[in-house]
Amino acid sequence: MTKRRIVIGIRIVTIAAIAVFALTTPGFTSPISINALLNAISFIGCVAVGMTFITLTGNIMSLCLGATLSASALIFLASLSAGILPAFVLALAFGIIVTAAQGLLVGYFRANPILVSIAGLSLLIGGADLATGGQRIYPGGEGLQVFKGRIAGIPVEALYFFATVVIGQFVLSFTRIGRVMTMVGSNARAATAAGINTAAAITWAYVMAGACAAVSGVLLAARYGSGDMELGTGYDYTAIAAVLVGGTAIQGGSGSVVRTLIGVTVIAVIEVVLLLRGFSQQLQYLITGLIVLAVIMLHTIGERR
Amino acid sequence: MIAHAFRSLLAPTLRPFTIMACAIILLALIDRGHGYFFSVGTIFSVMQLFATFGLVALGLGLSMLVREFDLSVAGIVGLAGCIAVMTGVENPWLGVVLGVGAGLVSGTLQGLIMTRLHLSSVGVTLGGLLTLQGITYVLTENKTISYPNIAVALQLNEPLANLLSVRSAVALAVFALAAAVMTYTHIGRDVIATGSDRRASRIAGLNTDRVVIGVFAASGMAAGLAGVLLSYSLGAASPIALADVLAPAAAAAIVGGVSVVGGRGSPLGIAAGVLTLCILRSGLSAIGVAPHVHDLVTGGILIFIAVLDAPDLMRRITTWRLDRAERQAAAENQT
Repeated sequence: MTKRRIVIGIRIVTIAAIAVFALTTPGFTSPISINALLNAISFIGCVAVGMTFITLTGNIMSLCLGATLSASALIFLASLSAGILPAFVLALAFGIIVTAAQGLLVGYFRANPILVSIAGLSLLIGGADLATGGQRIYPGGEGLQVFKGRIAGIPVEALYFFATVVIGQFVLSFTRIGRVMTMVGSNARAATAAGINTAAAITWAYVMAGACAAVSGVLLAARYGSGDMELGTGYDYTAIAAVLVGGTAIQGGSGSVVRTLIGVTVIAVIEVVLLLRGFSQQLQYLITGLIVLAVIMLHTIGERR
Repeated sequence: MIAHAFRSLLAPTLRPFTIMACAIILLALIDRGHGYFFSVGTIFSVMQLFATFGLVALGLGLSMLVREFDLSVAGIVGLAGCIAVMTGVENPWLGVVLGVGAGLVSGTLQGLIMTRLHLSSVGVTLGGLLTLQGITYVLTENKTISYPNIAVALQLNEPLANLLSVRSAVALAVFALAAAVMTYTHIGRDVIATGSDRRASRIAGLNTDRVVIGVFAASGMAAGLAGVLLSYSLGAASPIALADVLAPAAAAAIVGGVSVVGGRGSPLGIAAGVLTLCILRSGLSAIGVAPHVHDLVTGGILIFIAVLDAPDLMRRITTWRLDRAERQAAAENQT
């Protein structure tokens, strides 16, 4: 118990230190840098929220969410001619179908999640190349403003991201399926023995992941006004880093969407502070990497009995 | 009898070779004697690809043998390549030593962190991957570094007996060495034992921590060598270009029969897995198929293996069968 308190203490001190470090950085509180921060958080944040569900149910990580993001963005842009809402729904449905198929294999057959996600990645890249011929996709209609710009000075992307966080945390905390997800991650065998359909819970976790990735895809597509399969490259690793920095356990069963929000924010704040303090791009990468490594070590030491 | 033969061909130890044979036969059938597929050129390009991905898959596969997952191999490939290109201008051997040494150091450090602090490999090696990438960015100052010693690049890719290059021959030699160590020494047994049941191995008196550290050190060296060879032969190294080797390497190791739950797999199987993916890529492009077919076929094979290896597959099928039989019986009773 005391050890747990020490760990919580260390976490609070760490976050406080980062906050002080950020607030004493000249220019950090300027509207421009806050906006940049919110934007950076939003795109990667949605994917990280999705990844949280996969990690939480004990399925480590998916290497396919970045590609799902890109492919949903392409679907969104290509179907814009049908209107903004149908396009959004189509993109969401596509993301969900892609990950739900993987969730069914992982849930019902207990297929290996990493292997299944690499297979999904390969199929998505091949399928997208078949459909687009490797061309960039430009919007087929109007209405992208809904997903960019500002409302009351806040970037719209951030509002969508915060909505994703709220919905995600609501599902986890206040719905039966969400609680079952945590239980399955913490002890799948006990959950089965308790008569819980673990396969369905895992499938739902993948459904959430796909939906979140698709939202991120739509936001990125609106932001850049065009898209290709490179859009989500590298998002998988950043997302899992954010999940782990937030303190969700890699073996599953312990974690939350709010923790991931903290994780994403910590990483983004560090990056913005390093930028404002004039560190070169390469040093930013190195210092961020080292901090991520240190925080992950700190967490897992805390979780140890 | 036939069913039995079929089953043993799909058994984990033989499966990588069965899949490879199927890929070759399939491509030969599509090619139908045009001679595009069974050509010296195709074999050479398959082996060149093998040299690029093979050693990374070997390192990752070794870590999977002890039931860990070394994400950092992708970072080591980039770092070792950059170190080699920057230090090996005068003396290429120095670059090789420093590049492979960097892999050895980073693998050992991560192994030590994992075993001493009892941390999971995914978390540590993810941090390791980001840190290694950061170091690479700092060393190269975020630029592509070119390697002026073109003679080395030409020499590495010089055909040997038309089929191999020095680069692919080195990769094959490392695989042969790994296979020999895993088959004929107690190290191989220790690795398999650690991967199968770590607690039981420890109780039996095996120093499993040392095995895990050793495996990560070996994995780092293999990935480091892959990066050095690739950067030398390209005549350049950049921090971004090499980042995307992880997914193909993991796919190759799993196609090669390495079990993700540890304790099963062999270097020869991994070699067959890598060769299968390389044959598909080079073979399909040699017979003039669009590149996306390669991705789709690879994805299909991976799904097939994932389902085939899934522990609950048989249970689900049995339950479905029983349910159906029950429903049929109920229907017959009614009539």
